[in-house]
Amino acid sequence: MANIDRRTFLKLVGAGGVGAGAGFMLAQSIKHPVEHLIPYPVPPEEFSAGIATWYNSVCFMCPAGCGISVRTREGRPKIIQGNPAHPVSQGRLCSLGQAGVQALYNPDRLTTPLKRTGARGAGAFEPTTWDEGLATVAERLRALRANQQSDRICLLSEGVRGHLGLVFERFVEQLGSASLLHYDFAHPHTLYAANERLFGTQYLPYYDLEHAHYVLSFGADFLGAWISPVHHALGYGRSRQGRPGVRARYVQIEPRMSLSGAAADEWIAARPGTEGLLALGLAQRIVQKGHYRGADRDEWASKLSRYSAERVANDTGVPAATIERLADEFAQSRPSLAIGGSVAGGHVKGVDILIAVNVLNHLVGNVGSAGGLVLNPPPVVAPDSRRHQASYRAMRELAERARAGQIAVLVVNQTNPVFALPAAAGFSEALAAIPLIVSLSSFMDETTALADLVLPSHSYLESWGDDFPEPGVGFPVGAIAQPVVSPLYDTRATGDIILALAQRLGFAAALPWANMQECLKQGWREIYRRGAGNEGTDGFEAFWNSVLQAGVWGQAGWREARGAAVAAAVIDGLDVEEGGKPADDGHPFFLHPYLSAGLNDGRGANLPWMQELPDPLTSALYGSWVELNPATARQLGVSEGDIVDVESTHGRISAPVYVYPAIRPDVVAMPIGQGHREYGRYAQGRGVNPLQILAPEVEASTGALAWSATRVRLVPTGRRVRLLKTEGTPRELGRGIVRTTALHDIPIKVELR
Amino acid sequence: MSETDLRYADVNRDIVRSLVETGPRYYITLGCAVGVALLCFFFPWFYQLNLGIGAAGMNHPQVWGTYEAGFIFWIGLSHSGTLLSCVLHITRSSWRKAMYRSAEAMTLFSLVIAVTMVMVHLGRPWFIHWAFPYPNQMGLWPNFRSPLLFDVTAIATYLTGSSVFIYMGSIPDFAAVRDRTTGWRRHMYTLLSLGWRGTDTEWHRLGWAYTLLAVLIIPLAVSVHSIVSWDWAMSIVPALHQTIFAPYFVVGAIYSGTAGIVTVMFLLRKFMGFEKYITELHFDNLGKLLLALSLIWTYINVLELFTGWYSGASSEIEALKYKLFGYYAPLYWEMILFCAIAPLLLASKRFRTSFGPMLWLSIAINIGMYTERFLIVGTSLSRKYLPADWGLYVPSLVELSILVGSIALFSTLFLLFVKIFPSVSIYEVKETLHEPAVSPERSGAAGSAAAGGDRWQPAR
Amino acid sequence: MTAKEPARKQEEPASSLAEKWREFRRPGYYQEFDYDWTMTVDLDRCMGCEACVTACKAENNLPIVGEKGFAQGREMQWIRVERYWEGEYPNVKLRFIPMMCQHCDAAPCETVCPVTATYHNQDGLNVQVYNRCIGTRSCAVYCPYEVRYFNYYDHRWDSPLEQQLNPDVTVREKGVMEKCTFCIQRIRQAKDLAKDDGRRRVRDGEVVPACVQACPAEALVFGDRKDPDSRVSKSLSDPRGYRVLDELNTRPSVIYLKKVTV
Ligand SMILES: Nc1nc2c(c(=O)[nH]1)N[C@H]1C(S)=C(S)[C@@H](COP(=O)(O)OP(=O)(O)OC[C@H]3O[C@@H](n4cnc5c(=O)[nH]c(N)nc54)[C@H](O)[C@@H]3O)O[C@H]1N2
Ligand SMILES: Nc1nc2c(c(=O)[nH]1)N[C@H]1C(S)=C(S)[C@@H](COP(=O)(O)OP(=O)(O)OC[C@H]3O[C@@H](n4cnc5c(=O)[nH]c(N)nc54)[C@H](O)[C@@H]3O)O[C@H]1N2
Ligand code: SF4
Ligand code: SF4
Ligand code: SF4
Ligand code: SF4
Ligand code: SF4
Repeated sequence: MANIDRRTFLKLVGAGGVGAGAGFMLAQSIKHPVEHLIPYPVPPEEFSAGIATWYNSVCFMCPAGCGISVRTREGRPKIIQGNPAHPVSQGRLCSLGQAGVQALYNPDRLTTPLKRTGARGAGAFEPTTWDEGLATVAERLRALRANQQSDRICLLSEGVRGHLGLVFERFVEQLGSASLLHYDFAHPHTLYAANERLFGTQYLPYYDLEHAHYVLSFGADFLGAWISPVHHALGYGRSRQGRPGVRARYVQIEPRMSLSGAAADEWIAARPGTEGLLALGLAQRIVQKGHYRGADRDEWASKLSRYSAERVANDTGVPAATIERLADEFAQSRPSLAIGGSVAGGHVKGVDILIAVNVLNHLVGNVGSAGGLVLNPPPVVAPDSRRHQASYRAMRELAERARAGQIAVLVVNQTNPVFALPAAAGFSEALAAIPLIVSLSSFMDETTALADLVLPSHSYLESWGDDFPEPGVGFPVGAIAQPVVSPLYDTRATGDIILALAQRLGFAAALPWANMQECLKQGWREIYRRGAGNEGTDGFEAFWNSVLQAGVWGQAGWREARGAAVAAAVIDGLDVEEGGKPADDGHPFFLHPYLSAGLNDGRGANLPWMQELPDPLTSALYGSWVELNPATARQLGVSEGDIVDVESTHGRISAPVYVYPAIRPDVVAMPIGQGHREYGRYAQGRGVNPLQILAPEVEASTGALAWSATRVRLVPTGRRVRLLKTEGTPRELGRGIVRTTALHDIPIKVELR
Repeated sequence: MSETDLRYADVNRDIVRSLVETGPRYYITLGCAVGVALLCFFFPWFYQLNLGIGAAGMNHPQVWGTYEAGFIFWIGLSHSGTLLSCVLHITRSSWRKAMYRSAEAMTLFSLVIAVTMVMVHLGRPWFIHWAFPYPNQMGLWPNFRSPLLFDVTAIATYLTGSSVFIYMGSIPDFAAVRDRTTGWRRHMYTLLSLGWRGTDTEWHRLGWAYTLLAVLIIPLAVSVHSIVSWDWAMSIVPALHQTIFAPYFVVGAIYSGTAGIVTVMFLLRKFMGFEKYITELHFDNLGKLLLALSLIWTYINVLELFTGWYSGASSEIEALKYKLFGYYAPLYWEMILFCAIAPLLLASKRFRTSFGPMLWLSIAINIGMYTERFLIVGTSLSRKYLPADWGLYVPSLVELSILVGSIALFSTLFLLFVKIFPSVSIYEVKETLHEPAVSPERSGAAGSAAAGGDRWQPAR
Repeated sequence: MTAKEPARKQEEPASSLAEKWREFRRPGYYQEFDYDWTMTVDLDRCMGCEACVTACKAENNLPIVGEKGFAQGREMQWIRVERYWEGEYPNVKLRFIPMMCQHCDAAPCETVCPVTATYHNQDGLNVQVYNRCIGTRSCAVYCPYEVRYFNYYDHRWDSPLEQQLNPDVTVREKGVMEKCTFCIQRIRQAKDLAKDDGRRRVRDGEVVPACVQACPAEALVFGDRKDPDSRVSKSLSDPRGYRVLDELNTRPSVIYLKKVTV
């Protein structure tokens, strides 16, 4: 060996060290993440490794009730697609529905029952057992019941239908309480009321877009988050390009262009609140032109005479010529369909506005016919979920009762009124006066954060359930939701929690089922027994299995129901002038909060896919923004990213400006859904919640919140942020990227369906 | 030459001294360069390898950024060195002789840095060998249609060519140094000089080979930057898809390379004690060259704008507008100032022969030329065909640091070079010493004193 | 060498390389292949809901890039819905156009990739081979449709979100390019199924990419253009058909049907 002196040795060691270090760093930086193979020597019966198993079930991400097919691999749901057999979704699905897997696998799910340890709302909880949790609640309920104080018990749930609704009803009934409330921010109270007053139906009608030739929508964002977007989109697509030689025309009347407004051929920004007036203006023209052929023609003409196009034009801001043209087109392009809803129904006279819209349907004779408004039969299973839907007024009453100490136990199921009620309702303060709040939520939302006891529910993908979509599709439809995965955590199905309580309270007679699966099976046995068209099947088990497999059961065929006769006198009762009043000087803008496509009423905010879904109209995401007309922005001296304060009489929020080309200059729009204080890592501390500053104005007859009626003022703060959005420059610059062709240019000869 | 009082022995002494006598200033400079290279280049690079290209500022749709710009810049800088040396060798411009060695070294190291920039640019540099054609089990070959593969080929060839060129030209000098050093240096130079004895035959063969290589390298150098420009020009990206790009890049490359030479000459002169060898004449000539290049460069720039505008296509015009008036407009006008306007000063001989101002101008030109490359990459991709997908790219700290680090890395390599290679050619400088004294037919005569002063005649 | 030799010679690697080269050079070589997968996008049906975007993310394991990812402009959407405004208030229109890889028959991205990590396969698809990609990103520069998305990081899923990952599709590592594959895994599945059934070809409707499957307006139609009876062939005969940036001659396999205006 050569002589190595100390210096050489040190040099070699140094060089070696540097080399090894560099090599190590390089290896570290390019190495792959460690993956573990999980051996599965004895796989469960239902799957073979590598082969997908599909389960049909129901989407509970919004109240539309689409049928879903869940693709599972190795016992884990992977992808949710539409169930092709289900008449509502027909194999299609919206973004929110597809994000259901992220509700299941959400890292912020509650995994075990919790009880509060610190002060209420401080967020300190400790795990407890189901036994202890259920015992606590049962004990309290039993005591109240024994002391004749059952009316101090309230069960507040999201809207539930089907047998879970039935279980809730019976449970509350057994408790002897009358307090069963469903609360969904977007529940269309005014629409229900309008249909009931005009047609005498208790259910939402079916809008047969697919067969319509002309659709006039007053504020209803039927392609966005309104009622049943997937089904509407199916109808929309087919009405556009699904029929040889016929292409439906769409006109959208709303203050801020929604998804439906963008899809429409014509977008008309009538003055907010004057939609009813505009509808009556159209009605007047229709009758005047002799398009209405009923025997009471003259009576209609005289009742409507006040609403001449010229007069209406003035208040609505829509030119008389346009009104006349729309009326003529609407009357002549039959079957035509007028839809009223969302923003149009969110006014103090919302019901009157929607009745006025429905009058149009009556006048052109499209109620109960294909391409028009089809009245739905009652759902197959009795619970009248609609009756339980709590209006703003009902919620405020609940809050008042709570404050007065009249509520001893509040059980909250998957609804989040602390987030979705205006601050003016004082709901969260009222909760402070309730001694025991039990939440059945799967997530630590704002309401659950105030609970004393959390008994977390399964996600819908782990639960049994069923659904009878409302609105239906014109004929009775039911679908069974089945668990597609074994529960990930120590949670229970909502129905099972209630049934467990029922057992502890000794309600076995009324609620005899050990679990929801049993309850469902018995309920569906009933449907099977009653059902027409089931004769051919070989017994209930076969029927049950076939429904489980298909995921849906229905009795096809239109119900040609025309509803109650509509008398011209209805016009007398309508007050459609509200919107014509001048704006309040201090608060010159209408605030237009809208349900955003992905976040819905805020429930989607904890799903990373929904946070990452660019808003379809602005491409903004991961936050809130204030949409202003370019002229308004100029006038205020603000541009995109400038933070403005939005002040109503009931509060103030601030968010960056987005200059939106399709909004009235006197309207500012904000998406609903952000501004969560709780609700997990993806939702928390992001954006603002416009619902919080809504003025507590209600529609008189229903008590529904007039959520389109709030006036605000804007104050630039001088602060700026970069508004997060994906779009660069949303103008084509003559590059012919999205090409169009005029209707008369193309012989439509291809059938796409 | 003016330094006629110089003697062969002086040349030998001066240049050998530059190799063997190393003062603390050198070590401090080298230490700084190594330190900065480690800190600003290797450390951020490891960070980026670890994290992903996310460490840089690139995004969608701006997927290329300063690394790509740096690549082009260093490739550009590599021109002139060897290219200029070859051209001047063939045209037998004697003023080349004092500067060509370091110019060639610049080429070599710029190429090395350019290749390093490619490594830094790649998402998965550990698979870079896939871009080379080698027989393999999978039967997979690189894609010969790809301009990037043309690049690989061209740069590999250029790198080989210029290494051989610089090495070959240095053999007699290695021999000269071999004879004047002791210890390990002697061993090293013995190896490097390949047993050069300075016989007639050796001189003759060297002359032939050297000239042959020079002739071969000229088109190669031109092709390298043409091919590099095709990386961009062969795309259909507005403002990149331009037939002018090949000449544009070649001119740009020579331009920045020449400016680079001026910078290096200044530094060598100042810090290596070569005042006697690198003189006003060199700066004067280089200055004239720079002026000519700047005018051609300016012309092509105007032409580029014109063709963009004349196309009438929204995509081209928007890309132009963005470059001229968009986010990076200040940089654009800075480039115009440094590369088109300031070089007009070169029209004055007084300016050309003033060392200080020439240094500053040469640095400004290279800043401008880097800006040019940055703008070509950094603005065009932000304004492609679909306006809804337009974006903005801002380099990250990691990128800027790697940019600085790459200069340090270059300096490191250069500092090592000056201690190994005689950075001024001993034998060729000697050739110039006798120029005024000898008759025209002996004008090429020179020789290494060590090798007996044999003469060699460059091939015609 | 006798005259008979060349037939054997073609099997040798060297000449198969030459063979490949000639194939590359022959325009339209892909037309000789088995399928010609095509998608039509009916802009008169599309209403911009972005259900397709989510469907693609779910099927193809697209990463959640987070707020920071978006702030840095590093979103990942193999299909995105672009929006273009036309006119000013009140006569303002918004037009949507879903944009995914157009599977160009003359794909600029393919020519530039130095390692052939993106190439045209026997079905006329522009295929992306993640394992081969070295991350030059030049394909994204060359793609005029901006549909290529680069993995700037090794993306992570907050546990247990990783359980939603589709096992049929690989998760990409940092440094590689990715883009719409026309849901190649579904195509492969359908082909396997056809083979198991003893059929030579896949039937129309057996391959339904995730975005097509989800689209509630039924705006997207996918199928084999070679089959004259396929739905996609029929919708191709619609006179409204056009290709985006047709002037660039990339010959996309995604055909848009013009939006109808009145
Ligand atoms: N259980 C089991 N595991 C094994 C093996 C086994 O036999 N059994 N074999 C092992 C061996 S030998 C191997 S090589 C590996 C292979 O393992 P992988 O590399 O995972 O290979 P695949 O699963 O065949 O395909 C990978 C993914 O590429 C997608 N894909 C297919 N074609 C294309 C394309 O053209 N472009 C793009 N972008 N994606 C494409 C497929 O849909 C799939 O999602 O598995 C190993 N693991
Ligand atoms: N359709 C289709 N075909 C494919 C592929 C695909 O994805 N799809 N993948 C391709 C790929 S990537 C690969 S690697 C090949 C794999 O294809 P093969 O090489 O055929 O691999 P296997 O069939 O998994 O195993 C080969 C045999 O080795 C036996 N064996 C196991 N252990 C030992 C041992 O210790 N000693 C000996 N002598 N034998 C042993 C096994 O029992 C089996 O019979 O398939 C290729 N073919
Ligand atoms: S519309 Fe509602 S029910 Fe239907 S898929 Fe979407 S979220 Fe689910
Ligand atoms: S759209 Fe872009 S990525 Fe797709 S094939 Fe064409 S050029 Fe390639
Ligand atoms: S990023 Fe990958 S696929 Fe694209 S050109 Fe480079 S190596 Fe090829
Ligand atoms: S075809 Fe598949 S990969 Fe392509 S956009 Fe649609 S879902 Fe995504
Ligand atoms: S899902 Fe269909 S309608 Fe919705 S954006 Fe995509 S292509 Fe358009």
